[in-house]
Amino acid sequence: MSTMYDRPRHAATTGRPPAPTRTLHRRREAPKGPVRRFLRRVNVPAGVAATIWLIIVAVPLYYIVINSLRNSDAYLEEGALRMPSDLTLENYGRVLDLGFATFLLNSLIVTTATVVLVLALALPAAYAIVRGTSRPVRWMFSALLLGLAVPAQAVIVPIYLIITRLHLYDAPTAIVLPTVAFALPISVLVLTSTLRDIPNELYEAMTVEGAGSVRVFRNLVFPMARPGLVTIGIFSGLSGWNGFLFPLVLTQSPERRVLPLGLWNFQNQYGTDVPGLLAAVVLSAVPVLVLYLFGRRYLLRGIAAGFGR
Amino acid sequence: MSKGILGRGRPGAIWAAPAAIFFGIFGILPILAVVYLSFTEWNGLGEPKWTGWANWSRLFDDPDVVGSVRVTLVLAVLCWLLQTPASLLLGVWAAGSQRNRAILSTIFFVPLLLSTAAIALAWLSILDPNFGLAVTIGNLVGVDDGNFLGDRQLALYTVAFVLTWQFIPFYALIYQAATRQIPRTLYEAAHIDGADRWRQFFSITLPQLRHTVVASSILIVIGSLTYFESILLLTGGGPGTATRVLPLHMYVKGFVGFDMGYASVLSVVMVAVGTALSIAIARVTGYHRMSSTREGL
Amino acid sequence: MRHRSGIYRTIASAAAGMALVLSSACGTSGPVRGGLQVWALQDPANEPIIKRGIEQFNAASGTRAALTTYANDAYKQKLQVSMGSPNAPDVFFNWGGGNLAQFVKANQVRDLTNALAVRPEVAKRFLPSVLDVGKINGHQYGIPMNGIQPVILFYNKRVFSEAGVQPPKTYDDLLALVELFKARGITPVALAGSQGWTELMWLEYLLDRVGGAEKFAAIAAGKAGAWRDPAVLQALTMCQDLAARGAFGKNFASVNYDNSGASKLFATGKAAMHLMGSWEYGSQAANNPKFLARGELGWVTFPEVTGGKGDPRAVVGNPSNYFSVRSDSPAADAATRFVVETLASDDYVADLIAAGQVPAVRGVEDKLAGTHNAEFTTFTYQLAVKAPTFTQSWDQALSPSAGAELNTNLQKLFLRDISPQGFVEAMEKAK
Repeated sequence: MSTMYDRPRHAATTGRPPAPTRTLHRRREAPKGPVRRFLRRVNVPAGVAATIWLIIVAVPLYYIVINSLRNSDAYLEEGALRMPSDLTLENYGRVLDLGFATFLLNSLIVTTATVVLVLALALPAAYAIVRGTSRPVRWMFSALLLGLAVPAQAVIVPIYLIITRLHLYDAPTAIVLPTVAFALPISVLVLTSTLRDIPNELYEAMTVEGAGSVRVFRNLVFPMARPGLVTIGIFSGLSGWNGFLFPLVLTQSPERRVLPLGLWNFQNQYGTDVPGLLAAVVLSAVPVLVLYLFGRRYLLRGIAAGFGR
Repeated sequence: MSKGILGRGRPGAIWAAPAAIFFGIFGILPILAVVYLSFTEWNGLGEPKWTGWANWSRLFDDPDVVGSVRVTLVLAVLCWLLQTPASLLLGVWAAGSQRNRAILSTIFFVPLLLSTAAIALAWLSILDPNFGLAVTIGNLVGVDDGNFLGDRQLALYTVAFVLTWQFIPFYALIYQAATRQIPRTLYEAAHIDGADRWRQFFSITLPQLRHTVVASSILIVIGSLTYFESILLLTGGGPGTATRVLPLHMYVKGFVGFDMGYASVLSVVMVAVGTALSIAIARVTGYHRMSSTREGL
Repeated sequence: MRHRSGIYRTIASAAAGMALVLSSACGTSGPVRGGLQVWALQDPANEPIIKRGIEQFNAASGTRAALTTYANDAYKQKLQVSMGSPNAPDVFFNWGGGNLAQFVKANQVRDLTNALAVRPEVAKRFLPSVLDVGKINGHQYGIPMNGIQPVILFYNKRVFSEAGVQPPKTYDDLLALVELFKARGITPVALAGSQGWTELMWLEYLLDRVGGAEKFAAIAAGKAGAWRDPAVLQALTMCQDLAARGAFGKNFASVNYDNSGASKLFATGKAAMHLMGSWEYGSQAANNPKFLARGELGWVTFPEVTGGKGDPRAVVGNPSNYFSVRSDSPAADAATRFVVETLASDDYVADLIAAGQVPAVRGVEDKLAGTHNAEFTTFTYQLAVKAPTFTQSWDQALSPSAGAELNTNLQKLFLRDISPQGFVEAMEKAK
């Protein structure tokens, strides 16, 4: 897998302050001997931590998967961790019968619309903030920074009021609009930092050639901003996909239900059916798993571009 | 602006207008509106009715406000204490190029694939004291009856643990990416100097990662103010109000009790706490000075 | 804010339009609105019955009525949110009492008194104690639409016979049983204590037995100081005492009803008793059919409290659920006809009985006797018919905000986070 994780090559790494190598100059005798060499190679503390974490992560995952394959009676009678006497896929069938496809489709619609809107709104704004000179843009940037500190829960009451007054209640749009608004501050922030890393000379060179702001945006800003776009795409995608509060408060009908609400509803309605619930949990992870398998490289680069410094 | 959008290569305010309008309607306007609503009585039916300071005077009568603010802050601290060292160690460890690490990392990052609701519901069934693994786990950690979510003290720790389980992969991934960006020459120099692993970690890795530590700390602390659905699904804020964080208290008042005016008062408190906390972090960490040379996280 | 809303609306609509284009490109279409919208709670047993009622009404009247259902917690919120919006239902399910009263207060419910006066035989069919809960200020706003759901003390027959004991007749019996089962390593009573409303059932019955039904009637009527009544304090103290004795086990606060934690505990014999609404029978039949098939599910009326002022035949629980008509519905007349004509019809009542429910209707003993769970339904029916009072679940009888406060404080009470006095003072303050 290591080849997948090649070092990100964008400009973001260049602005690093000089490394504090100074502290290392007081030289120390390196102890010799087989034990020391062994320790140096395996890094015991990290290894122990990794093993503990492996147990903490793997056991619940095993529990989820194994019990999603057990039938309901067996769940109550057999131990929760023992291998089931016979594996069954009937839980999955039942979950699919209960409208899982609708929930999935709704979640995909909400996520896609969120990502597209965030990308379309944040990049031009970041461009104006980094290269623009007008005062209103500065004010807007300050307002956005303020927005970083405001949790979405704090404004759910007025958002609910606004959405109902706009007659958008119980539409996918009702979820998308506030989700986008609350993804904007961090997205603009990440993109401004990406754009600030574009050397000034490149902008000047284009301006000397007589390029207007549209051309600068298309030929310079957009291509250079790609790593940042991936980051905010992932980030806003996750907030659309995971979103719970906005769908909970702003939609009502079963045909509008997104996956997280669908899961919750499933547990309320068929409470005793733990294997069925766990099957739904497993199924809900499949789309992200597929995306992860295809986009692992971009995911890591995106995270590196946005946060890794 | 006199030459319009296509000025001298400098973008005008119009470029920022769509985002500004959008954030104005669904970001700024609601914040102003929530202040207005905090002075009204409204049960979700009909129109809000102006009542002046009536809701605000109830704030000091509500025994659950102080409790929920305390729970919120304790949870933020717990999450930070649990998540920061663990994700830092894991991220640095996973940044190594050995094959076994690559395979294990894949398992480690699986929780990233699950949504908040999925994780909360799965843990709810795992922690069922009568049919899940609660008793098995309880015997290992000294809680014989597996009463993780029903014990007043334990419930908060359990919630913090589930949140940690959910978020460590994300932060570890950030640390992994950041660690890989540390120039290798630093380590080579240290190696020649004879510095061992510990020294390398403390004198190269950690200082090089300090911006990442600050950034992830901010995300953890601010994020912990918004852990609403995990708690709603895991404990509903219970037992009693032992895990009722401020956002949940607001939700119960507003959308279970339909007391939207008072819920708005709580929302205003929430905005204030969030802003104060962000400013405090920025001051304490000196994040403001760092970001003056380069905006962003 | 008002004068600027025009601009905001334009901009928001533009933004919304953009998003809508994006989302509709993925090929969805909204539900068809129009006709008569009927909203009810998700309930696999009830839904087919309502649907059949709607179909018959549609066929007879040429109306286009359709049913939409929601899960319990979501439903109340959805209803509150939609009333007064274009998405509001024409006919809506409710719990009567304070829940219905707030909609009446906002002028959103049609007064059905006259519609019933025209058809006196309809009102006469229902049990009066149940029909009364649909009355606000003497006017009929809701009509019972499903079975009565009294709270019943269920017990596990196998566990009881293994211990060689009988179900409790008095509160002292109950206390003795608590000690006995504790000694045998069995949780005496299953309690889904992570949810306040399950704990409420204990308080409701204890207050009714100790002080009589009028004590809560005073609270529901909003009389100042009604919570401070000594009988209320005594009932609260008894609840806390039960919890302290370990009647509910040590980890009851972890147990959840929605994921059937308590019901499983009881059905598997890890707990001996379970105080729950009569719906527990149906849910055990669906979730633990073997438990029922072995004949291990037993039930009795709630024990008498020696020296208590209340009538030991009195019942608490959900008298029924109700259908009401939205006053500003464009189809209010058709909706009224649907409610009045369908709910008391022979077909509807027969469907309810066939589904194992006990309709709030007079003279159905013979029909109940013919069903396969006759023993249980007859017991439930007799319980309600003989009961001098049928006190509605408090969290439904009070306003939503007081109900939410009640459930929070109950959890604190059972965990000893709050004293009975503290509970009373907190509830006096709740609106």
